[in-house]
Amino acid sequence: MDAQTLAQPAPATVEVGRAAARSRVYRKLVRHPMTIVGGLILLVVFGSAVLAPLVAPHDPAKQSLIRRFTPPYWAKGGDVRFALGTDQVGRDILSRILHGARISLLVGVCAVTVSLVVGVTLGLFSGFLGGWVDTVVMTVVDVTLSFPQLLLALAFVAVLGPGLGNIILVLGLTGWERYARVVRAEVLALREKDFVEAARAVGAGPLRMLSRHLLPNTFSSIIVLSTLQVAQAILQEAALSFLGLGTGSAYPTWGQMIALGRDFVTVAWWLPTFPGLAILLTVLAINLVGDRLRDALDPRAT
Amino acid sequence: MTTLLLRRAIRVLVVCVGVSLITFGILQLSGDPVALMMPEAPEADRAKLREAMGFNDPVALQFVRFVGNSIRGEFGKSFYYRAPALDLVLERMPTTLTLTVLALGLAVLVSIPAGIYSAVYRYSLLDQIVTVVVFLGQSMPVFWTGIMLMLLFAVQWRLLPVSGWEGWQFMILPAVTLGTFQAPLLLRIVRSSMLEVLGLDYVRTARSKGVSEWIVICRHALVNAALPVVTVTGLQFGILLGGAVITETVFAVPGVGRLIVRAILQLDFPVVQAGVFLLAMIVVTVNFVVDVLYAYLNPQIRVR
Amino acid sequence: MKRWRLFLVLFLATLLIPLGAAAQKDTLVVALVSHAPTIDPHFHFERVGILVNINMFDSLLHKNKRLEYEPSLATSWKALNDTTWEFKLRKGVKFHNGEVMTAEDVKFSFDRVLDPAKKSPQYGNIRAIKEVRIVDPETIHLITDRPFPLLLERMVFFPIVPKKHVEKVGDQVFGISQPVGTGPWKFVEWKRDQHIKLEAFDGHWRGRPAFKHLIIRAVPEVSTQVAELKTGGVDLIRNVSSDLVPDLKAHPQTYVSTAPILRTHYIEFDMRHPPFDKKLVRQAANYAVDKQTIIQKLMAGLGRQVATTVHPAAFGHDPSVTPYPYDPKKARELLAQAGYPNGVDVTIHSAFVEFRPVFEAICQMLTEVGIRATPKPWDPGPAYNKFLQGEGKATHGYYGSWGYYSVFDADAILHPLYHTEPGGWIGKWYTRIEGLDGMIDEARSTVDQAKRKRIYAQIQRYIKEEAPNIFLFHQFDTLGVSKKVEYEARGDEWLWLFDAKPKR
Repeated sequence: MDAQTLAQPAPATVEVGRAAARSRVYRKLVRHPMTIVGGLILLVVFGSAVLAPLVAPHDPAKQSLIRRFTPPYWAKGGDVRFALGTDQVGRDILSRILHGARISLLVGVCAVTVSLVVGVTLGLFSGFLGGWVDTVVMTVVDVTLSFPQLLLALAFVAVLGPGLGNIILVLGLTGWERYARVVRAEVLALREKDFVEAARAVGAGPLRMLSRHLLPNTFSSIIVLSTLQVAQAILQEAALSFLGLGTGSAYPTWGQMIALGRDFVTVAWWLPTFPGLAILLTVLAINLVGDRLRDALDPRAT
Repeated sequence: MTTLLLRRAIRVLVVCVGVSLITFGILQLSGDPVALMMPEAPEADRAKLREAMGFNDPVALQFVRFVGNSIRGEFGKSFYYRAPALDLVLERMPTTLTLTVLALGLAVLVSIPAGIYSAVYRYSLLDQIVTVVVFLGQSMPVFWTGIMLMLLFAVQWRLLPVSGWEGWQFMILPAVTLGTFQAPLLLRIVRSSMLEVLGLDYVRTARSKGVSEWIVICRHALVNAALPVVTVTGLQFGILLGGAVITETVFAVPGVGRLIVRAILQLDFPVVQAGVFLLAMIVVTVNFVVDVLYAYLNPQIRVR
Repeated sequence: MKRWRLFLVLFLATLLIPLGAAAQKDTLVVALVSHAPTIDPHFHFERVGILVNINMFDSLLHKNKRLEYEPSLATSWKALNDTTWEFKLRKGVKFHNGEVMTAEDVKFSFDRVLDPAKKSPQYGNIRAIKEVRIVDPETIHLITDRPFPLLLERMVFFPIVPKKHVEKVGDQVFGISQPVGTGPWKFVEWKRDQHIKLEAFDGHWRGRPAFKHLIIRAVPEVSTQVAELKTGGVDLIRNVSSDLVPDLKAHPQTYVSTAPILRTHYIEFDMRHPPFDKKLVRQAANYAVDKQTIIQKLMAGLGRQVATTVHPAAFGHDPSVTPYPYDPKKARELLAQAGYPNGVDVTIHSAFVEFRPVFEAICQMLTEVGIRATPKPWDPGPAYNKFLQGEGKATHGYYGSWGYYSVFDADAILHPLYHTEPGGWIGKWYTRIEGLDGMIDEARSTVDQAKRKRIYAQIQRYIKEEAPNIFLFHQFDTLGVSKKVEYEARGDEWLWLFDAKPKR
């Protein structure tokens, strides 16, 4: 009974603190117009990814040899039905971008999920257990950080074969170490705090402590990191496509569209430009939101 | 200091072995490398090569041999060039390092003053512009930046050569491209750490004592801002080298990145292993230096 | 302040100097996607290397613009019998180092490729040569182990290297820093992945080439090559995509030169598995593809329809065999007859990046008649090779092309594509046409050209009927050239730059 009264107040404080923090975060986020712009862009991108089959004006794979290289509608020779023009086999670029949002986001989100699961797990273990586990995990982190990530990804895609699954796996497995570092640092810091000590004193098991105390407290760092990593993964996929080892899929990705369209940049600038803009805007939006989120979640920033 | 050096040195060694393991793993993952190397050869020839290359030995033995050879710089002969893989990599290393260092220098030169400025004059018009540029720079694929810069500066305005590596004029566009890739991150870090430092008590005290604003910034704040820049540079060096791969391809720069990319596509394993291993070693070295620098810079903070 | 201005001017001046470098009149700059691993002409077999080698080394024979044999290091040649060829050597030909070329050098050149221990990738090309016999200082005999009708074709790219020099410096050094030949240009410098610099050889037996300096740069990116050409950084680029042809034609400083080449395109069927195990389905596919539209709309007219895989310019081509016409109605009928009235689903693979639009258009056309083809594009590389060896053996088909290795003979495509022995590596997995092996072997085993012609005509009729492929078209070579230079594309894709002249 005695122990329970000791333990009880701590989580309550955290709850109250968290609620206050949440409203502060919210206010900070809304105060910046750029964040709203970023959020809106993201909403549009997600929307088009989900609704692509409904909103895309054409079948993204439908070719027409007569309509090749149709410029965007406002340019000379443009056609309103193909607002952003057509590509080298006459496919509608707007439709391809809308559908491409699916794969690009899929790659981004899934790769980050892989990173997240691996990184957070290892980071938690490393920080929580310490000792030789910590040494091993941190050495692996050092090793992974030592490689030029793009080359490592390229090498693995080359031997494993291209394809969506492999790209996601490779990007995920070359990006997890940041999570491990962040989570480990947070855990180490939290371990010293009173309420964790208190929880341990009352005999809360490691699992319970992980789920009740440590994970929720590292949450904000992870969210911020993830937004930025999704952006990175989208860029990395584009880079792999550029080097000739993309998803190898007939279904378009933005990176693949730029990679295949780049040779035509002087005769049909719209081919690589619009998917390029799509990447730019999406990554920009993710960065904007992620950055404000960081500012808002970081109590030190004013 | 000595113990720290020693501890870091041991860590470097351990990381080296880890790097070897992954480099080695690339080859193992490919299944039967010989089948990929000579798809058209009869099985008897393949078996001969497999034996000659030691692919029939236990994996552990192969790994030990690989680590031993790596340390002695022996990665075997390139299947494609028929020359020692290490020589091929070393031959191109100066180019890649020049490009990377130039880009990094450029990024630092731009991001530190810009970061300080936008921290000091927070929410000013220029700060807003800097912020937008930072976000744009971070959101563009490197090859896209490269192609656009080339089209503008070399094709449209004819100010710089399109591609190649014949003199310093040729280095500008690749260095700017790669710098654009690195600068935004540094800038953000300078800005945020400056903001943090500027809000601290001792800076306020110094100001209230009437110390000139710029002296405050340079003497106190800059030293502290340098620290995270150094750390991040070390951590990001591997990513920067990845960006160099793309830049080299776009601007036809004869560097290691291009060599490795082609070796990967051709399954020229000795070159892939030598190249990846050496680049990783450079990152390890850079990080080692960063750690030492950090230790050197750190006491100054405490002294204030 | 003044000093600043001076500095600025100087700065801008140094900035501009190298831009003019390529514009020099006596320099010709060529961009290739890469350099071969060595400059030694016997230890690689890559187009990018051959294009450099031919301008530094001579072979026994040469081909002129019309692709007829011309004397080069050999002044005359004849077959003494089925297995012996006699070559008379040109007198007084000098190597770049001043030594005179002799029969010893010729024999040495053959021997270093024929020595299995040296593992020359060109070994297979001349494997049939059993012995190189020096009859007298100006005469050599090549003795083959069987009738070898392709011998003369092989002699067009078989560079002669100086024995003494190679033995002195060793193979490795010869290939990297001290290559010596008898060709129009001699070696100056090679910076790998950057440039190969050559200089005109005053003692060349044809006389001096028009350009004193020849620089071969390695520029991997197509868009970078085009930008270089437009800004005068390079004078000549290869493989200009047909979509960029109008752009380079319209540009004030560039033009495009084209020539029909041997590279022939086809869709290869897996004939062991449904649905392409049925001849009618294969024929239907041939009727389904509108080759003319593809050539006109997707290739800027730079292609010619072919009746089979045998190229019109190759020895043995029979013009009386005509292409399958575009007839979607007939295609549907044949498909129904074959037992697929409701169509059938297939997957077609391709690793052909620059022809991806063509590939996708073909799949679309097949789909329209009921052969619902899903295109599976690959990026070339190890994964694709792996696929070809693994599942690739059991897929429906893939889009490929064959360049004959620039050998103008029907055998140069029939054997690799359809023969089932290990050398014919595609035929091994995909196509098994009864009796074709024997016919190919028979044509190979005689130097009686009339007899060979008869056999090849028979083969072409046979494969058209059996339709192991969709027979598509052959390609054109498209060069982008600076208006400061006069040069015409060749049918063998060679860059024989001795013919290049500065334009006044």
